[in-house]
Amino acid sequence: MGDNVRVENVEQAKQNQEYAQALADLLFQLADDDFILAYRGSEWLGLAPHIEEDVAFSSMSQDMMGHAVMHYQMLEDLGLGKADDLAQLREAGAFRNAILVERKNGAGEYNDNPHYDWAYAIVRSYVYGLYKQVRLESLLQSSYAPLALISRKMLTEHRYHLMHWQVWLKQLANSTKEARQKLETGIARVWEDAGELSSLGQNADNIVRFGLIAGEELLRQRWLANTKDIFQKAGLSWPGEPGVPTERGRLGEHTADLGQALATLSEVYRLDPVAKW
Amino acid sequence: MEAKANETFFIYEVFSQKSVSASFVHQFSLLAPNEEVALTMARENFLRREPCFNLWVVKRDNIHGLPPEERPFLERLDNKSYRETKGYGDLQARWRHHKEKYEEQQKHAGNGS
Amino acid sequence: MQTQIERFNMTENEKMEAFLARIDRGEKIEADDWMPDDYRNQLVKLISMHGMSEIMGALPEKEWVPKAPTLRRKLAIMAKVQDEMGHGQLLLRVAEDLIAPLGKTREDLMQDLFTGRLKFHNVFHMEAPTWADAGVIGWLVDGAAIITQSMSLDTSYAPYARALHRICAEEKFHAQHGESIVLELAEGTAEQRQMLQEAITRWWPSLLMFFGPPENGNITSNQASNMRYKIRTQTNEELRQVFLKKYLPRIFHLGFTLPDDTIYFDEAEDKWVYQQPDWEAFKQIVKGNGPRSAHRLNLREMSYEETKWVRDAIMSFGRQVG
Repeated sequence: MGDNVRVENVEQAKQNQEYAQALADLLFQLADDDFILAYRGSEWLGLAPHIEEDVAFSSMSQDMMGHAVMHYQMLEDLGLGKADDLAQLREAGAFRNAILVERKNGAGEYNDNPHYDWAYAIVRSYVYGLYKQVRLESLLQSSYAPLALISRKMLTEHRYHLMHWQVWLKQLANSTKEARQKLETGIARVWEDAGELSSLGQNADNIVRFGLIAGEELLRQRWLANTKDIFQKAGLSWPGEPGVPTERGRLGEHTADLGQALATLSEVYRLDPVAKW
Repeated sequence: MEAKANETFFIYEVFSQKSVSASFVHQFSLLAPNEEVALTMARENFLRREPCFNLWVVKRDNIHGLPPEERPFLERLDNKSYRETKGYGDLQARWRHHKEKYEEQQKHAGNGS
Repeated sequence: MQTQIERFNMTENEKMEAFLARIDRGEKIEADDWMPDDYRNQLVKLISMHGMSEIMGALPEKEWVPKAPTLRRKLAIMAKVQDEMGHGQLLLRVAEDLIAPLGKTREDLMQDLFTGRLKFHNVFHMEAPTWADAGVIGWLVDGAAIITQSMSLDTSYAPYARALHRICAEEKFHAQHGESIVLELAEGTAEQRQMLQEAITRWWPSLLMFFGPPENGNITSNQASNMRYKIRTQTNEELRQVFLKKYLPRIFHLGFTLPDDTIYFDEAEDKWVYQQPDWEAFKQIVKGNGPRSAHRLNLREMSYEETKWVRDAIMSFGRQVG
């Protein structure tokens, strides 16, 4: 198997170990990004600025976690373990999400003095969402047919999310001085991590060679062009080249925030992973 | 410009359409600062499980209705059968009558030849 | 038929009589209909408390949202807590339309909650220390709520009835969500069963308190006027008995016990006879002195105040940045 392959199903994928490995590496990135950011979103439940927005925001976290579940299920089908185990029993070092999605929502904990930052939530969701859009569009051409198929399904829901974030970004950017300032602080913080999003990790060469997704540079250019356009329309100044965090999440290096997230996410399941819950 | 302290969100009424052939129906109302935000929140607040083909939000101030005192005048006398199918219940029997009469005639004509 | 002119000339007493006659005929009252202040006040009290209880009720369960033990349960409980916020939204909208003529808004209701003037339901002041508590809340607390809410579907206030219809439709999913968690634990390991038994024991007094003190023939003036206005039609004790009849057999069928050795079903009276919970403690809890009252109120107030800038910002969107 090399260039221009098309893999129709999981059985075919498993026939080539190198292909299956590249596919799994990519799927972990997709699943972990959505899973961890959906978890961060779920921590906002009951704490959003406005009751109606609280309800709307939660649907997006649910959709996003739903996408992660579909990817974990594909990994389960590849024989890498149960989806619930993959989400809850791996150590932080096995997670391949970008650092941006694991950062805490604010100074405190979801249940204790959260001090959550809505501006950061909006910017992070939108900037990640714009990257996810480019990624999903590229996956429509993926050599792995099942991945192309579910990506098409996800795109509809995802576009609806982007509409939501777009309204928030535009309105906060064009409202009070205070909001504008908080938004700019949020952008600066997101920008410190955002550059890592387009990384495809250790196995990038094979992921691209097997036609699973477009190359890092192409994804990055498309995403930055879209984001630049959106910022301009919202009247926001362009923050320049996005930075990359010290830890490289795509290589399994993570901050303490992910450790805390995983401890919370798996607290009950770890009581007895063999039991039915 | 900062928002004035006593400013509050507006009430928007939410209407939705289940499918292309369905009419818009009223769902409920929500609070929002402007129609754009109202629209982004409408589906998730009232249609989390039902299908939704299209949505409207309308500022409540822009809806004009009857005051309570005038609503009873919407009631009509029950003498408008000429507008309804039930006012034409005799038609089927009459068509049947003509059909039977015709068939009877045909039978006789056939016998005669 | 009454005309506008006649109504205009009616005295307050005549208006009241006409209003009560409408109630007696089973007619429904709309937000812009004439209503006695007393009726409005009773509705505001009931519906704003109901609405805030939904909003505050999201918090104990929310503690378990990220911790839910499987991906499916994480999604289901997220959807369920979202629904609770949604129910709060519906009910607050109904209450807001009732207080609008008094020049008040949602902001006033929020401030009343923070100052303790506006109470919320006793169950949401309690601790939920284990996953089984999330199950018991879904199964029994929601079960109790379904009984209260479905008994009020025929309320004389039409906007409340419309909100309750929407709410009850979703509560059926909530009850199933709770039953599913509870059955998994009940059919599970010894540790899972023990976790569930402890949660049932812990929640028992709160569940009895859920419906309020028994009347013992002494209907309070509030209850009496609620019944006169057909805002609600059952007494606390009647609702509690419906709950006990439905859920006690199920608790016993699963092999669990209650922290009340004396409880029995009186066939002749057709009712459960149970040990009264500590009604003094109940008063303290709803006053805001429950084990988690201060913590949850603080969580809600902090998040509300710290996001004021967001509401102010979108309110001023479209005007020039200063």
